[in-house]
Amino acid sequence: MQFELTEEQELVKANMREFCEKYVEPVANEIDYEARFPAENIRRLAEQDMLGIPYPEEYGGAGSDYLTYVMTVEELARACAATGFLVETNTSLVCFSLYKYGSEDQKKKYLAPLCKGDALGAFALGERGLAGDAATTTAVSDGDGYVLNGVKTFVMNAPVAGIFVVFADVAKSGGAGGPSAFIVSADTPGLEVGKPLDKMGARGAPSSEVVLKDCRIPKENLLGQEGQGAVIAGASLDSGRIGIAALALGIAQAALEESVRHSKERVQFGQAICNFQAIQWMIANMGTEIEVCRYLTYYAAWCYDQGLPYSEEAAIAKLMASETAVHQSDRAVQIHGGIGTVKGQKVERLYRDAKITQIHGGTPEFTKMIIADCVLG
Amino acid sequence: MLKILTCFKWVLDEADIKVDAGSRKLIFDRAGHKISAYDRNAVEEAMNLQQQHGASVAAVTVAPPTAKNCLKDVLSRGPEKAYFINDQSFADLEPAQTGDLLAAAIRGKIEFDLIICGEGSSDLYTQQVGPILAENLGISCAAFVNKVTYVEAENRIIVDRKLDDGIETVSLPLPALITVLPDINTPRIPSLKQVLGAAKKPVDNITLDKLGEIPKPRLQTTGILAATMERRRLKFGAKPEDIGALINALLKDGVIA
Amino acid sequence: MDFELSEKQKKIRETAAKFVKDELEPIAAELDRTKDREMLLATLKKLAGLGFMGIAIDPEYGGTGAETVSFSLVMTEIGRACASTAVTTSVTNMVAEVIQTVGTEELRRKYIPRLCSGEYAAGGFVLTEAVAGSDPASMRTSAVLEGDHWVLNGQKIFISSAEFAGVFVVWAVSDKEARKGRGISAFLVEPSFPGFRVGLAEKKLGQLASPTNEVIFDNCRVPKENLLGVCNDGFRIAASELAGGRIGIGSMALGIGLSAIDFAANYAKERMECGRRIADREGIRSVIAENCARLKGARLMLLRAASLKDQKKFYAREASMAKVYATETANRACHDAMQIVGDYGYTLGCPTERYYRDARVTEIYEGTSEIQRLIIARELLR
Repeated sequence: MQFELTEEQELVKANMREFCEKYVEPVANEIDYEARFPAENIRRLAEQDMLGIPYPEEYGGAGSDYLTYVMTVEELARACAATGFLVETNTSLVCFSLYKYGSEDQKKKYLAPLCKGDALGAFALGERGLAGDAATTTAVSDGDGYVLNGVKTFVMNAPVAGIFVVFADVAKSGGAGGPSAFIVSADTPGLEVGKPLDKMGARGAPSSEVVLKDCRIPKENLLGQEGQGAVIAGASLDSGRIGIAALALGIAQAALEESVRHSKERVQFGQAICNFQAIQWMIANMGTEIEVCRYLTYYAAWCYDQGLPYSEEAAIAKLMASETAVHQSDRAVQIHGGIGTVKGQKVERLYRDAKITQIHGGTPEFTKMIIADCVLG
Repeated sequence: MLKILTCFKWVLDEADIKVDAGSRKLIFDRAGHKISAYDRNAVEEAMNLQQQHGASVAAVTVAPPTAKNCLKDVLSRGPEKAYFINDQSFADLEPAQTGDLLAAAIRGKIEFDLIICGEGSSDLYTQQVGPILAENLGISCAAFVNKVTYVEAENRIIVDRKLDDGIETVSLPLPALITVLPDINTPRIPSLKQVLGAAKKPVDNITLDKLGEIPKPRLQTTGILAATMERRRLKFGAKPEDIGALINALLKDGVIA
Repeated sequence: MDFELSEKQKKIRETAAKFVKDELEPIAAELDRTKDREMLLATLKKLAGLGFMGIAIDPEYGGTGAETVSFSLVMTEIGRACASTAVTTSVTNMVAEVIQTVGTEELRRKYIPRLCSGEYAAGGFVLTEAVAGSDPASMRTSAVLEGDHWVLNGQKIFISSAEFAGVFVVWAVSDKEARKGRGISAFLVEPSFPGFRVGLAEKKLGQLASPTNEVIFDNCRVPKENLLGVCNDGFRIAASELAGGRIGIGSMALGIGLSAIDFAANYAKERMECGRRIADREGIRSVIAENCARLKGARLMLLRAASLKDQKKFYAREASMAKVYATETANRACHDAMQIVGDYGYTLGCPTERYYRDARVTEIYEGTSEIQRLIIARELLR
């Protein structure tokens, strides 16, 4: 039992921190105000081999492990949650589904560009009526391909994605039918990406509707088998939960650091407010909760790397870390007082960015059901 | 092919050092380590030359065995191999000792055309190791370099030295040693693959028994305290009579004699 | 990073779990109800026989030669069944450890084997006074060197195992002129030393089988060889031992919480209301899931603190985080477990009422949650 990072992981973490200080932090507020996609930093992250960290080099990945990936996402989110989301959606959801369920050809054609940063991925699963189960988007087989019709909502990365994994229901006819996953390039006729939503947080990671109108794709673009869609979605979301837990950790860590810094500088009643017990206890609670969530997240990543089952662990990590991101960013604003509610203060952005970690990839209500299923059967 | 050796030092990360408010003593117990900032520039410059001219680059350091974490760090920045000159007694060496040990390890054993050092280390910053090493090896030396051009046809380098009074351009025949300034380049942030690749690169362990005797120290450190800044909050006007008052205050504080 | 336990750690945990299941669980409720001393002492003896009274102690002194991670695992297993037994075991381990860390070779050879073997039923940690709880430096018990004996005078309170411990670590002011906290020393005191008296037992809410008493020093004569560690260094010794004790108490509390939720989950799977098992209701499932998640976090945090201690790295911050998180998590788990079980959970027939009572003090002793927060904040604000 040992909790230390390897030498390589320590180096990667230090390098990532330097990268974020140099390139990500300076534009974080700007991309938040303007809801601007930070293309230049995504390109730089690609050059740093950061877009396909846990996937093999033969598919363009870095050939590293999920734990290293989790640490880099944490560092990114500590500087800018939006940039973290762009990477996490690409790597944990889209790349994962292609890596685990794609054919060799599909991996070479679609996974490699995503890992190398030549294109970003988007995961088109949720719909207006239902979330979590692909249902009203349909895919009709015509022998050589499928024609997709439907509307997907809240698709993160959609406005800037080059490759989509789209979930649609295949009518049972000749083949197996059922919910299935498809790979759709952004330039496919019939795939329309809606206007980016004006979001509360993670504003630099644009999300929009994706409309499929008689969108025809070749049969080679079926990912996995017909009817395997629920399994693919489930497994991808499991791995995604570890990624979102890492994002949440980074936000929470930033909230703590801002609070420590501010409370040492801010003088009221003749002394730094960090001398008052009420503030000390808030900071102690923040630090403790973050540390606990950190080990839960690393543990889930470790289980993934060891080839052990990790659905329950991922759900626990996501539940706890996202809750801590929301709590700590709330406490951070509180410690800052009035100034914490003003644009330009990092904690104001953290507060808005934190919330989406509690929703995206499975709400607490849903993740608790996953955990309960594992515990109670 | 140009053979470059780049020297680096594993130093305490100054961001982690705390100061005891009462005694002004420095507290190192939670401080991590890093490659000295100026040495990162040295390594980067070696890699720039490698990219331009196809050189071979090796890194070399003198350190206690506990510093072995430095090796993957430096190798992730580009050098093909590292020389780890290490011994228990190498914890707090003086520049002259470091210079002598480097020379003992290099002379006649490691082939080189150019040695690149940082202008000084980010801990002691004596700026002496480079010139001492050059003198020990009997090669030409230029310090405070912020631009290097390799003239392959003549086997020499032309460097710009940034001095207080301006830029001095110097030509040195190889083999030579230069110490470089931080504005010479922007050190890379190693990519993930570069970090992972570091483990595969060879490291030559050079122990004291291969070097002969460690040179004796000539300095004795009696104490290290954090510098303080006291604000006197004395105001002086600009009239002629105020000048006298200013001079007296400076004399009183021993700022001038 | 490696969350796998070593083979040795797995074996130690299995041994503890087996003992707890076969021998401790069956008697835990009775121990709590009757406070049967013989039953407790017999249990402690068996635990000593298994090597659980000196888990991280050097085999040279009769210890098991394992480490803090194993200590944490064992404390959780014992805590699952009986908090009274667990706290006695934890404190005994800490007493053995402090003697090993700062004691002379003679003191180590004299006392540690007796603690590890079970010859002494337990060790006592005598720090707290009526005026000195969270602020032990304000203690008034005095120690004056007279010839070849220290003479101790004063009153200590809330001392676990006072009624049967074989040796006590006692803190007293050895230099009244010194600055607060700088003139305290630690001593090893046997109950047979003249002037040592165990006073009244407290009537408590929980951990009833573990007696908590006043201890009075009335010109108590302690041989000068029994000075533990360096004179006037006692406060630092106490602080460092308490940090280790936090891991023990946190681990024990985790055990209580785990038992509470396990019980509630099993109960919920059987209990029918409105035609369905309550375990099938989202509200109940949700509460169980939250508690499982938090308890998992507590487990990792405790092991993290233990792992740092084993590497001789600075671990006080993590130990405090682990203690405050694990004990508060355990109390929430006991609260929620009783809620799930309902009325029955409130009755003496159901273990949830004992878990609830036993868990409460874990947020208080060996450093209140408030003190832990001060320690954590001080570290974070450095």
